[in-house]
Amino acid sequence: MENKFSVSDFIVYCNQTLEYAYTGCIIEGEVSEMKTSQGKWVFFSLKDEGGSIDCFIPIWQLRIPIEDGMKVIVRGTPKITNWGKFSFTVQAIMPVGQGNIKKSFELLKKKLEREGLFDPAKKRPLPKDISKIGVISSTQAAGYADFIKIVNERWGGLEIKVCHTQVQGLVAPDQIIRALNYLNEHSAVEIIAIIRGGGSADDLACFNDEKLVRAIAASKIPVITGIGHEVDESLSDLAADVVASTPSNAAQMLTKDKKAEIRNLHDNISHIYTQISSRVDLIINDSKIKTLNISTKILSAIELYENKIESFVNVLKSLNPENILKNGYAIIRGDIKVGGEIEIEMKSRKINANITKVKEK
Amino acid sequence: MPQKNINEKIDELNEKVEWFYGEDFKLEEASQKYKEATKLAKEIEVDLKSLKNDIKIIEEDFTKE
Repeated sequence: MENKFSVSDFIVYCNQTLEYAYTGCIIEGEVSEMKTSQGKWVFFSLKDEGGSIDCFIPIWQLRIPIEDGMKVIVRGTPKITNWGKFSFTVQAIMPVGQGNIKKSFELLKKKLEREGLFDPAKKRPLPKDISKIGVISSTQAAGYADFIKIVNERWGGLEIKVCHTQVQGLVAPDQIIRALNYLNEHSAVEIIAIIRGGGSADDLACFNDEKLVRAIAASKIPVITGIGHEVDESLSDLAADVVASTPSNAAQMLTKDKKAEIRNLHDNISHIYTQISSRVDLIINDSKIKTLNISTKILSAIELYENKIESFVNVLKSLNPENILKNGYAIIRGDIKVGGEIEIEMKSRKINANITKVKEK
Repeated sequence: MPQKNINEKIDELNEKVEWFYGEDFKLEEASQKYKEATKLAKEIEVDLKSLKNDIKIIEEDFTKE
């Protein structure tokens, strides 16, 4: 029995078949004849040496800048329009090859920089003494294994919530965004670490996705990225609060080193012992100084009294009659009148004499 | 009273150590405080050597829109 369709039904039928057969297929090609319509739709051709197909993407889904001549991969669904024209509806697009990725990176970087998305003033520092960490990574990836290994070696007692996502390819940005939202809304982690080991420029290109970069910048919980190697830089790194050069480096930045901490404990205790000894020495020295001060005060008081006594003695000595006699003076005792008898005492003699004359001076 | 975690214990030890360097230092209390500090340091060392991290993989499926 022959199938008979109306034109519209046939188009619907074809589209259903195409959607069933090619959902989420990925095509690689070069962008050409790119144009934007009404600020809402982007049309371009994707071509290689042997052919070309028309592509369409709503502008809000275009999360990485593209331009003519750029080699890209696109994910989407083929479709026949109501006018019978074949078109490929793009859901995600990503540049391919180092040069194209770099170009796209620079274009988006400029745009987001102008918006202040990478403003250093907006960066939050790592929280102190972290105990709850959220991790977004592929649990099968080597970078994740490195991160967890270093964390476990360095510190204990941490609560780590891991969101398993793809970390490369066209689907990765949306999965990472969902994980970011999940951790922000459903967990009490203090920091979110986005972890991905080294790879080619193509592998890491998903971290330049505009929507992902915006989600990182908007995260309520601070974000640290440990993506690729030291030389790799992604727009996700620029939007994050803290950037680690590698997954291992992120693990080091998030944890203290328990070996160093144990050494520190021993040092602290040994310094306390030294400190007590020096405090005791201080107290002894202080007591010695106080004792010395008291002795000095007592001695000077004694000296003062000695000096006073000595001057009293000198005065008394000067008043001693014996000393006056030594200077040639004499003491006269008796009744001073004519015919009276007197005693004259000199230094070494006593003389009795009679008065023959008394005269007023 | 909830049990203190390692970081809280380290903070407590740091406070105890600071006492020996501060104005409140009293020789009569030093011996007791020293015993407390060494006991706490030992406890932290044991914790550091034995505590494991609790790693949980979230069951949420992030591939779904």
